[in-house]
Parts: sequence; structure tokens; C-alpha cells
Amino acid sequence: MSEYLLEMKGICKSFAGVRALDHVNFKVRPGKVMCLAGENGCGKSTLVKIISGVYTRDEGEVIFEGQPVTKITPAEATRMGIQVIYQDLSIFPNLTVMENLAINSEITAGVKFVNRKRWEETAKEALSKIGYNIDLYAKMGELSVADKQLVAICRALLFNAKLIIMDEPTTALTKKEVDALFTTVRQLRDSGIAIMFISHKTEEIFEISDDVCIMRNGKNVYSGLTSELTPDQFTYYMTGRELTNDRFEPKNISREPVLKVDQLTLPGNYENVTFSLRKGEILGITGLLGSGRTELALSLFGLNNPKSGTITLNGSQVKITSPMKAQKLKIGYVPEDRLTEGLCLQQPIADNITLASLKRLSNALGILKHQDILDDAQIWKEKFSIATDDVRKFASTLSGGNQQKIVLSKWLSNDLDVLILNGPTVGVDVGAKQDIHALVHELANEGLAVIIISDDLSEVVTNCNRVIVMKEGRIVGEMDGDQVTEDNILEIIR
Amino acid sequence: MSASAGSSRLKRMTKRTEFWIFLVLIVMCIFIQARSGGQLFTANTIVTILRSMCVDGMFAMICLIVMVSGGFDLSFPAVAALAYSLATTICLNNGWCQTNPIAGFVLSIIIGAVLGMLNGWIISNFKLNTMIVTLGTQTFFTGLSMGLLKMKEITSTLPAGLASFGKWALFTVKVDMNGRELSYDMTGMFIPFVIFCIVTSFVLNKTMFGRALYAIGGNETSAERAGYNVKRIKFILYTVVGAASGFVGMVRVCMARQSIPKAMIGKEMTIIPAVILGGASIFGGEGTVFGTVCAVAIITVVSNSMLLIGIDSYWQDFFNGLIILVGVTVSAVQAMRRNK
Repeated sequence: MSEYLLEMKGICKSFAGVRALDHVNFKVRPGKVMCLAGENGCGKSTLVKIISGVYTRDEGEVIFEGQPVTKITPAEATRMGIQVIYQDLSIFPNLTVMENLAINSEITAGVKFVNRKRWEETAKEALSKIGYNIDLYAKMGELSVADKQLVAICRALLFNAKLIIMDEPTTALTKKEVDALFTTVRQLRDSGIAIMFISHKTEEIFEISDDVCIMRNGKNVYSGLTSELTPDQFTYYMTGRELTNDRFEPKNISREPVLKVDQLTLPGNYENVTFSLRKGEILGITGLLGSGRTELALSLFGLNNPKSGTITLNGSQVKITSPMKAQKLKIGYVPEDRLTEGLCLQQPIADNITLASLKRLSNALGILKHQDILDDAQIWKEKFSIATDDVRKFASTLSGGNQQKIVLSKWLSNDLDVLILNGPTVGVDVGAKQDIHALVHELANEGLAVIIISDDLSEVVTNCNRVIVMKEGRIVGEMDGDQVTEDNILEIIR
Repeated sequence: MSASAGSSRLKRMTKRTEFWIFLVLIVMCIFIQARSGGQLFTANTIVTILRSMCVDGMFAMICLIVMVSGGFDLSFPAVAALAYSLATTICLNNGWCQTNPIAGFVLSIIIGAVLGMLNGWIISNFKLNTMIVTLGTQTFFTGLSMGLLKMKEITSTLPAGLASFGKWALFTVKVDMNGRELSYDMTGMFIPFVIFCIVTSFVLNKTMFGRALYAIGGNETSAERAGYNVKRIKFILYTVVGAASGFVGMVRVCMARQSIPKAMIGKEMTIIPAVILGGASIFGGEGTVFGTVCAVAIITVVSNSMLLIGIDSYWQDFFNGLIILVGVTVSAVQAMRRNK
């Protein structure tokens, strides 16, 4: 038997004449975690679909357990022991955990009738594979993302999986949940299963993987041991450019604070929060999920009215009761979940960028000036290097990083005093992340006051000159300048 | 252990819409019984209410299975109308159905199935929104019936086999009304209604086809990835639903002892909300036979007992509308909470 479980050589695939994969080679070892990394649109998902039999390759060789495989169909892939856990987990939110676990194997077995007892046995067997305990009759939709993921993993294991492909499994998880997931992944690895882990998060890849295969523009630019790679080299291979992790140096901090928050309290959310923010500063607010950081941010944007305490803006006390009021006070907010809260995906890019500044772009009668909208959008497209050839295309045609740039430019196209960014680079790849950070630095130095809310500590440390740490609704620490380090923050959070 | 399992089962039960719908039905019946001076729970009222539940109840089952799969069928009344009009006309012209109704039912089911196939073919092949497709075919079928086929009303000339089948009574209730004896028949059409409920419940809960409908309603992409042939399942679903509509339409012809091509227009606007009231989700993947039957019962009881508690019957639409609004709002709020 071969040393490798799966070998792919010279894989090519084109769609309507466009090369999505160009002679990709890689190998997967049994009992190892292999990471497939690359920025959005580099061909990762096409490759996965070829392995799982959804697409047929145009050229190339596939060798599974030493045997050449000529054609892979989805059924054939399942039979060989290849299981894909998609990003959306392919679960049925309206069915019970038991049904979710058993339904795939029942369909594969081709039975016509439902046998509750057999379903229950199948479900119990699935859970026992990783020793996971959960109410079989709970509705799937009511579970946490982490639990849904474990159910999806258990389901995959029912098919005697030899290779499990996980498509960006950590996107919606908190740090703690990621740790739990990694424990499970290691457990599977030690039982001899090969794991293919798709990600673009540097830290995670170095933490979990034995081998790594990096793709860029449909080619694999590196494949080999993770231990032979440094994080900088890794980033270089991913993006094709040298990225410098410039720390933010405030150049232009105002004397008087623009925003002052005093003893702000909303029971159950946060209590006695006091801080101030000056122009030209980037203030980080960090803490674990549930520490009150998001709730606080929402209050500053009028979406979560505080019970007591005061907010002072430019020297006068204000009450921010609605997002409209916040906008009038020149406060901008970029939400955590940009897809549902910040973007109209099925609308042109230009309309999204100018959504918050339509007043400026319409005449006295409220009729929109179409050309001005396009011109305005064009300026932001250039300033932010948004990857599109036409701002009239839908926002859904862009990658996550570029979508985030749209959300940012939407707020920045209005004259702002305070900009609140909640998880500004969640689900954004390294290259776009760098662009966004650089732009935020530039804006701060032009005199904007910025608040970054994030649990990504490296993001907080490189971008903020001052950091507030929250825990259970209270501020438990504040540091600035050279004191802002990951270790210092971790010490307080724990 | 068993105590906690029992209490968690109770907790789960109270979370379900059908539990509350059932409670509402009971409370409402008790209220009407009290206000009307005991007129609701009398043999003749119950027989009348059960009679008016039969056709709507069967149509509700049809809507339920479509809604579970995440679709909407607005065309079932048009399918039923075209199927029974054409079937009775053919029977009339050929002198069929003089002694038994079999030919009429077979024809109506076949025509219904063919029309349903058209729905199924369009929906599964072009992956279109089911509401739009069935809105189109609804108008198309009605136009076909009125314009091209020139369907006529058949009343006194209805074939004897159909008319007598409609008179089939399981038993007769005799009531003394001021010295005059009135008799109320318990219609035999209650039997097909019960069979419809049992079959729907069996298909939805005990067959892989039924679970497929829930799976597709929950997440169509996942259902495809899990190995279901979604295209074929949808085709079969809409064909079966068409055939069932043809059957129910014919039951209605027999009960009313007349075939009116326009009689079904607008039926979907009362049946679909009733199904939603019964706990079916407008987004698919949820809904039970029990909840649906309770909801149909609520609406039938309300419209039949307005007069009993001294409310003018023109308030009927008002109350039906109100009940439906409440039902739909509750369903939407629940879905919103779940998504949170």
C-alpha cells in the first residue's frame, strides 16, 4: 500500500474557457491533517468538488489507496470513504438530531419506510464514534454552531470515512469552540483518518496541520510540511506579495476627547462603562463572546438603549436613541455580520456604497442624481481598490474581503467623527485584511476616531494604540502604547 | 431518569404549535357551547360541522404536503375544477356513471394527475418559485376550462351514480323541531376524509418519501447532497397532489349533486391560511396532520356556529380573517425566534 491515501497529479479544470485549476498536485497522508489554504477564488472549492465527485476533472491523475481512479461520482466518493463537511454543514434545521444523523445512511441504503428504532440505533452509533453526548430529540436548528458541527462530523463518520474534508469549519465559531473542534480533529487524526482542512486563517493552519498545500490563482504554489514554513512565507505564498504587519502609530491625536462615555449601564448587558476617545485614536474593545462588547457598541449606535449613564459627544451630552440619530451625530457602525446587517447583496455595488449618503446625492425634491452616485462609488472603488470592473455589478459578485470594503466605504462616504468597527475582518482573507487595516490607519491619522471591537487579538494589537478589555459586562483592564500586547490582554481575559 | 425524560417530552409538546391549536379548539368549543345554551354539542350540529369539514379537510391535506416541502400550490382548486368538470361532462355524454361513480372518479383522478404533472414538470425542471408557477397554471387551467373546453354547469342532469353516491349516509340523526321531525345525514364522505388524513400522516412520518419532503422543506441543498433525487421527488409530489385534487373535486360534485366549473375559484385563499394556522411553516419543513385537522375544525366551527351564538353571518369573513391573521403572525414570530 502506498504511503499516501490520496494523490492528485496535474489536475486541470476549466469553466467556459476560464482555467479554474491549472496542473494542481498534492498528496494526503492517512492519520494526518492536511491544510488546503488560499484566498477566496483561488480554486479551493473547485478542487474539493472534484475530489467529492461533484465536478469531473478535465485532465490529471487521481490515485486513492494506491489505485488509480478514473472517474469519481458523488456515490463513488462516498463508497471510497471520502466525506465533505460543507461550510453550511448540510443539516436540516427542522428535523431532530436523530434524523439528521441517520437520514443520509437511510437514503444510501435505499429503504422506503421509516424504522424509528433503526434510526435511533444509527444515531447512537454515530455519536459514540467521538463519544459525543447530545439529546437525540432536540431540534437541529436550536443547537449552537459548534454542536451542529459535531453532529455533522458524527454523520460523516457513519460512512467509514477515510478522508474528511472540512470546508472553512471555524468561520462561525468562537475561540473556545475552535479549541473544542481541534480536539475532535486531533482525535480523528489519531484514529487514522485523514483530514483535509480548508482555511485561510494563518494561526489555525499552523496550530492544527501537519501538511499544507497553498493555492493561488488555480495553481498550487506550495505543498509540503507545515513545520518547514514560517508564517511570513505562508502569507507570501497565499497573497503573492510581501505583507508588512505595520503597527498603528497614532500621529494626530486631538487634545479634547470627541466621545466620552460615563458610567453607562444596561443591566444584563454591561455595567458602569466609562471611557473616552480622542480624534486620531484607534481604540480596541476586546473580550470573550458575551463580555458585553457588542452590546456596548450597539448602544453607541442607538440600537440598544442604555438604562443609565451619559454619553458626551464633542462636549455636549447626547442621547442616541436610534441609528438615524447616531448618523446625524456623525457616528458610523459596521456590523459583525455584514451579510445580513450591512449589505444588500442583490443590489449594485454603487448603490451599496452610497446607501448611507443618499441625502447628499439627491436634489431638493429628493430625486436621486444617478451620475453622482456612480461617480461617488468610482472614487471609493479606487481609494479602496475594490476588485471589480464595474460598480454597477451586484455586491454578491465580490469576495468577502471586497464586500467588507463596500460596507466600510458606505460609512466613510459620509463625514464622520466616530467609526465603530465590529469584527472588521471576520471571514476576510489575509490580503484584503491588510488593505482594510491600512485604510483604517490612514483614516485615523486624518483625524477620525475609530473603535475596533474584535476578539482577534493579533488584529487588536496591531491596529489599536489603546485597548479596553471587557469581561462579564465590566471593563476589567485598559492599556495603551507599548503595554498593548497579546500576552497582557490574555492575562486579563482569563 | 424516566421522570426527567417524561417532563422533557411534555416540554417539547408544549413547544409545538399543534398543541396550542388543539387547546384553542377545545376552549373555543366550550365557549360556544356555553354562549349558545348547549347547542354546539348536539347530534345535528356535530353532523353538520363534520359534513362541511370533509372537502376542506382533504384539500388541506393536499396543501399541507406541498407546504412541508417548502412549496405553495395555488392551482389545486383550478385542477380540481377542470378535472371534475371534464370528467362529469364525459360521463354525461357517454351515459356512464348511471349506477356507480367509479368511472367519474377514475377520470377525474387521471385528469388531475396530468395537470399536476405539468406543475411538477415546470417546477422541477426550471427550479422556479412554486407560488409563481402555480399562480400561472391556476389561471391557465381556469382559462382552459372556460374558454377552450367551454365547460357548462351540470345540475339536474348529473349522472345518477354520482348523485346517489353523494347521498350515502353512515347514519341518520333525527331531531324533533317544534313537533316536526328533521333528519340529518352523517355523510359517507367522512370516510375518504379520514382515509386522507391517515394516508397523509403515514406518508409524512413513516416513509422515506415523506421525510424527503421535510428534508427538502428544511434545506433543499442539503437534501440533494444527502442523496435525495429532489427533482424526481418534486415531480412525483405535484403529480400525486394533482390526482388527489381531482379526487376531492369529484367528492364535492357528488356531495353538492352538481358540477359548477367556477365553484372552486378562490378556495386556495381559505385553505392555505388554515394550514398555516395549523402549524405549517410558510418557509417549509414544518407541519403535521393533527395540527391541520384542528385548524380546519376551528374555522369550520366558527363559521357554522356564528348564528348559534347570535352573531350575524356576515361577520363570518371578519372572524375567519382574524383567525388567519393571528395564525400567520404566530407562525412568522416563531420562525423569527428560531432564526435568531
